[in-house]
Amino acid sequence: MTARRRTTALIGDDNTVVVAGKSLTWRTLRKLPQLPSPAAVLVDNGADALAALRHHAVHGTELLVATRSRVDERMREELGESGFAIVLPEGEVTPAKLKRVEESGRAWLLTSGSTGRPKRIGHTLETLTTVTGDQPPRTWLLPYSPGTYAWWQVVTISLTHADQGLVVIEPDELEEWPSIAAEHGVTAASGTPTFWRQAIYRDAEALAAVPLEQITLGGEPVDQAILDQLREIFPTARISWIYASSEVGASIVVHDGQAGFPREWLDRKPDPDRPMLSLDGDELVIRSPHHGAGLVGAVHTGDRVEFADDRVLITGRIDSDEINVGGSKVSAGIVRNVLMGHPGVSWARVFARKAPLVGRMVAAEVVPNRALGPITHADLVQWCSSRLPDYGVPRRIQFLDEIPQKETLKSEV
Amino acid sequence: MGSVARGRVRELMGEVMTAQGRALPGDDTADLREIGFRSLDFSELALRVEDELGDELNFDAPGLRRIATVGDVLDFIEQLQSA
Repeated sequence: MTARRRTTALIGDDNTVVVAGKSLTWRTLRKLPQLPSPAAVLVDNGADALAALRHHAVHGTELLVATRSRVDERMREELGESGFAIVLPEGEVTPAKLKRVEESGRAWLLTSGSTGRPKRIGHTLETLTTVTGDQPPRTWLLPYSPGTYAWWQVVTISLTHADQGLVVIEPDELEEWPSIAAEHGVTAASGTPTFWRQAIYRDAEALAAVPLEQITLGGEPVDQAILDQLREIFPTARISWIYASSEVGASIVVHDGQAGFPREWLDRKPDPDRPMLSLDGDELVIRSPHHGAGLVGAVHTGDRVEFADDRVLITGRIDSDEINVGGSKVSAGIVRNVLMGHPGVSWARVFARKAPLVGRMVAAEVVPNRALGPITHADLVQWCSSRLPDYGVPRRIQFLDEIPQKETLKSEV
Repeated sequence: MGSVARGRVRELMGEVMTAQGRALPGDDTADLREIGFRSLDFSELALRVEDELGDELNFDAPGLRRIATVGDVLDFIEQLQSA
């Protein structure tokens, strides 16, 4: 098993890896000193994260890699007590407090934290490599924060397939990524809907100059408006959206350019190689072959779905998506989709606001599309009124100057 | 806590009505049902007042009362601010 992993991993060893403007390969990345195992490697840049991953792939060590800013003192303590040596960017190593035998080949991920404090989920290079089979030669953008599930998805494509280059985007390069991507001939890019929205919002022309053949969205609910905007800019690219998480892996992949997935994908005949999708009430439940360690069987995802004709839309987290307005319930995700469908809106967040008489009201924050001139509160209320029931229309809308974004490239939606 | 003057509350009430494609009559005795001012509109007005105040209104303080006219709404918001 270990031998197979190492052989597979090295297939991409000569792929190009662009870091900080320098064109290297996996093989010529900075060599790390022998890392302890288990180790939590905390990094300040993407290059060091890739070097740690390669070290793990070659030596079969037990690894958790994450940005330093995601792992606070308390979590470092917890990691130390769980047997991890902490390796800081400067090379300083804090030995593990608990001595234990390593789990050879184990890769640990931190969940995105949208459900509270990040949790550790165990994987291996095999369970994280969900793209298999021959791939057309591509150069991938890597904008994700090191150690996240989405980051692992992109880097394993490059490490385990031939002709899959990487262009690493560091956090301070996020605002100008299209020009870097165009310079290095990026043909495939994966990002959250917020990431794509920001790129269109900042400079759609610069984005259009990137020779993209494959566009992937994930990490947040994907609405029709962002898919349509990307289709307009990239008429010939394949546009896909992926439902993936540290817990269940990449479980839904949709290539038809439409939001949601076909209703017939629910409750299909069991197939050990394919995730099984079902519902418990309006919660999405997944049995996935790509699941994390100990998560075999049905996993309640905490994500809420709604039907729209023959599609199943994932609208948001079940504990925050439903807004109860005086006894009438509305999905914040659906309201957000309606707002995002307005041509003058670049980004929207929808949330409940405490209100007299009805308990909660729907409120929103909106970033207008500067290219299309000003929009008003009344414009948006009118737009929503013709598409939503009365109680679903946002009554208080605040306009923001820019799209807020977290380190995970997600916004607070 | 500061306060939002009655005239300003009336303006805000007019904005709520306008956003719903209706108009607020100048007469304080106008019947809320007839002009189509519903509970959602009242709630929105309260939020607009709260946003101007920078503070939440205390709806627990005043006793329940019948609010049937534009004047009743303005009186009630005034009472809430002094509660």
